[in-house]
Amino acid sequence: MKFNEEQLTEFKRLVARYPEGKQKSALLPVLHLAQESFGNWLSAETLDYVAELLQLQSIEVYEVATFYSMYNLKPVGKYTFEVCQTGPCMLRGSDDIIKYIGHTLGIKPGETSADGLFTLKTVECLGACGYAPMMQMGKHYREHLTKEKIDAIINECRKNATANN
Amino acid sequence: MGVKLLLEKAHVEGIRSYEVYRREGGYRSVEKALKTMSTDAIVEEVKKSGLRGRGGAGFPAGMKWSFIAKPEGVPRHLVCNADESEPGTFKDRYLMEFIPHLLIEGLIVSSYALGSHDTYIYIRGEYAWIVDILENAINEAKANGWLGKNILGTGFDCEIHVQRGAGAYICGEETALIESLEGKRGNPRLKPPFPAVKGLWQRPTVVNNVETLASVVPIINLGGEEYAKIGVGKSTGTKLISACGNINKPGVYEIDMTISVEEFIYSDEYCGGIPNGKRLKACIPGGSSVPILPANLLLKTAKGETRYMNYESLSDGGFATGSMMGSGGFIVLDEDQCVVKNTYTLARFYRHESCGQCSPCREGTGWMEKLLLRLEKGQGKISDIDLLWDIQSKIEGNTICPLGDAAAWPVAAAIRHFRDEFEWHVTHAEEAQKRNYGLAHYADAIHVPVTA
Repeated sequence: MKFNEEQLTEFKRLVARYPEGKQKSALLPVLHLAQESFGNWLSAETLDYVAELLQLQSIEVYEVATFYSMYNLKPVGKYTFEVCQTGPCMLRGSDDIIKYIGHTLGIKPGETSADGLFTLKTVECLGACGYAPMMQMGKHYREHLTKEKIDAIINECRKNATANN
Repeated sequence: MGVKLLLEKAHVEGIRSYEVYRREGGYRSVEKALKTMSTDAIVEEVKKSGLRGRGGAGFPAGMKWSFIAKPEGVPRHLVCNADESEPGTFKDRYLMEFIPHLLIEGLIVSSYALGSHDTYIYIRGEYAWIVDILENAINEAKANGWLGKNILGTGFDCEIHVQRGAGAYICGEETALIESLEGKRGNPRLKPPFPAVKGLWQRPTVVNNVETLASVVPIINLGGEEYAKIGVGKSTGTKLISACGNINKPGVYEIDMTISVEEFIYSDEYCGGIPNGKRLKACIPGGSSVPILPANLLLKTAKGETRYMNYESLSDGGFATGSMMGSGGFIVLDEDQCVVKNTYTLARFYRHESCGQCSPCREGTGWMEKLLLRLEKGQGKISDIDLLWDIQSKIEGNTICPLGDAAAWPVAAAIRHFRDEFEWHVTHAEEAQKRNYGLAHYADAIHVPVTA
């Protein structure tokens, strides 16, 4: 496993933001890049590779990767639904949305569907309180969720997955 | 209509682009500051403006700037805190998403004032698409000569870099943010030394919130004294409020801090009242960590005076009967909401976000979460309520950073003002699983004793 040329260019751009010898500062962005590049999760092998690239001890990378909630330390589905459940979203019905997604996909929060397409996660406040209930899907937010919208999103994902196969 | 200084142009078509932003008068403050003002003069204007940090603590921004150490030969850094994560708060996101050049403009002036040649925006990792918006704005600004080498021929060099976090509320605390920016876990540092002396890479550093830095633009354009005339008392200028919960018009509003809380909730210009004809039960006016207030103490102070949307009025009465302006995350609960459940979700949030460094916070937040869940599920005891009170009081003030306080305050305030609702979850455990306690007496007028 190695970054391709395009990914290496991005890696160099990230490291160049910091003064000489402070390349450790690039660790969080480089872990994001590695996660995006290698199947949306970080294996021990990936973490070691990042350590080698940044000239760090592996432990320095492990302790960071395990601290931040956005790094997936085990494989996830092709589409991850990260539904906010904190106070402001709860006031607008996020509990029902989480239940509905779980019921529709036949999975509990933290699980991945048998076909490997969907992972359901509950997360804490994502800063979209005024547009609740909401979830993060990849790079973007899906807001003002309703059961109908969830159905439409799931269908859209299934369609895209079939089209890409 | 109140004065708008930040979002006045946010709805202009195409304002996200450099051309439109510039045509609408953007980057004037950079011209004025870099060409006609000394760095000390800029700091002086910010001091005169009375601007208080908009991230939550409300510390005077000009004073914070004046603390920055200037040892010979050591680079200094400005870091913009865009790690907006306090539940109820989404104002910085709005500003960055819709009018990104305002932040970049404020950053250039502030970087010049502080002598920062490499300035960093640390943005929460989840705002991934906003990183693209900001980097695009930075590239446009650079292409037009506002960033890079020898800006406007003044000899001042400056670059702005955007760094994504990766999901950790604690990184909104400035020393945790610095640790994270150095590629480490977000464990807050012991202070002193303060970042102004030893911050990023042990260099003098100022960390300011997005809205604070954007506010530098109108301060330079208007002058500090004129800026300070807007608002009231020590609440100068305008404040962005992100309103959410049970209201008709959730969203981000810019207020000039002279309007009453009642007007803010019920006026069509702002929240537009509560949906479905429901009544107001409670509100957390400044982000989830500030004390929740029942309707009667929210709209009027304990002395029976109108409460206003500003730093002083929201905190009138201290924690006994008041709350805080905080980050401006305004969370409204209608009569159908359960205060115990709401408090439980917040306790869960703080347990999830505790960095684990200090035992009172690491252990206490989890303990509070468990007790609140037990009460919420009707399996609690009356003594659990006293235990909760005891735990929160032992977290508060006993941790390196304010996350401990932020976790303790919502629990304390909920018990302080809604104790009977907690007790009802014990005494009417079965009923509490079927319905909510309701509005009860929380909106009743408060008896104000007449003094001679």
